[in-house]
Amino acid sequence: MRLWNAPTNRLSAAALAVFLPFLSPTGAAGQGPSAHGAGQVGTGQGKSLGNPAAPILVEMYSDFQCPHCKHLHETFLPGFIKDYVDTGKAYFVCREFPLQGFGPKSREAAAYATAAGRIGKFQPVAHALFQNQASWVLSGKIWETVAAVLTPAEQAKVQTLFKDPAIAAEVQHDVDTGLKIPVTSTPTLVLTHRLQQRPWTFFDDGGTLFRGYMDELLKK
Amino acid sequence: MSFSRSKPFKIAVMVLRIVLGAIFMYAAYAKLAESWRLFAAGIASYEVLPMWTVEILARTLPWLELLIGVLLIVGRWRRVSTLATSGLLLVFFGLMVRAYIKGMTIDCGCFGPGEAISWKTLLRDGSMLAGSLVVTVAAFLNRPPSTSPQRRREEKVPAETV
Repeated sequence: MRLWNAPTNRLSAAALAVFLPFLSPTGAAGQGPSAHGAGQVGTGQGKSLGNPAAPILVEMYSDFQCPHCKHLHETFLPGFIKDYVDTGKAYFVCREFPLQGFGPKSREAAAYATAAGRIGKFQPVAHALFQNQASWVLSGKIWETVAAVLTPAEQAKVQTLFKDPAIAAEVQHDVDTGLKIPVTSTPTLVLTHRLQQRPWTFFDDGGTLFRGYMDELLKK
Repeated sequence: MSFSRSKPFKIAVMVLRIVLGAIFMYAAYAKLAESWRLFAAGIASYEVLPMWTVEILARTLPWLELLIGVLLIVGRWRRVSTLATSGLLLVFFGLMVRAYIKGMTIDCGCFGPGEAISWKTLLRDGSMLAGSLVVTVAAFLNRPPSTSPQRRREEKVPAETV
């Protein structure tokens, strides 16, 4: 499958619509017992969707400059979230994995998205970064892309948080965690079920193979 | 006495054959212990086969690896098993080199998921291929004693004439 097919904005909008109502701005993710076995999941604030006690934990490692990640965000995720996260079968967590090959812009974008997560705006910011990827990657105007989906008050908060060393540390923590799994490319979905972690990197059109695997795990 | 018939060479080939057999059995186990879909995803990420063949291959290849591994270890059907080993390794190595040259950041799929193609995996599989070729050549050079009575009579003639 070619992951850099033409983007579908309607699907992007659908993804956003699906994401927004399920944000966890309080960062309370990972509380309580979890059937996936990972216990308390260290999630970035506002970067998780669904029920933390779901049978499968799905962590998405992505880079905002990566075209494959953009494609996954726009075409695969909306259906996945509708069928597995909304139904309580999976708990979804976004992880930052800025690739060195893309340069410092990836890490900066990841930091802005993480900072936005602290005020419950991760998904709109992530969506804006993916949707306008071609534009800000060329122009370098990351902040302008982020600011476009925030109110002036939110912009001020995100700018303050962006300078907080804890944000950079959180991004680095995601990278370090990913490298240990090991995540070798982006996007990678890491599935945790009954303490077993499995990285998944292939996404055929419709995600038939991935869905089949998810269903297989759910039957166990 | 040719080098290929010397005892040290035969022992080295036997060790190599058993090691290759063990590796094949481990590779098969690593795949069979998981869902075939994980291996299918690994095969599909090479982007060389249509999806319908990917499923067939993902379901059958681990069993073939297991069979080859067993045959290599027990030393039966040596020519067939070593030839199959070299053939498979040649295909695997070729695909991995292709993916590496193309800059594809994909899993090798050799021993289950989570191992990206790198110069290390290429070196490992390249070494296995080299070892396999040695074992294959040795299997064809060192013909095992025949079970056919006519062949056995023919083979005995030189010894009786001495």
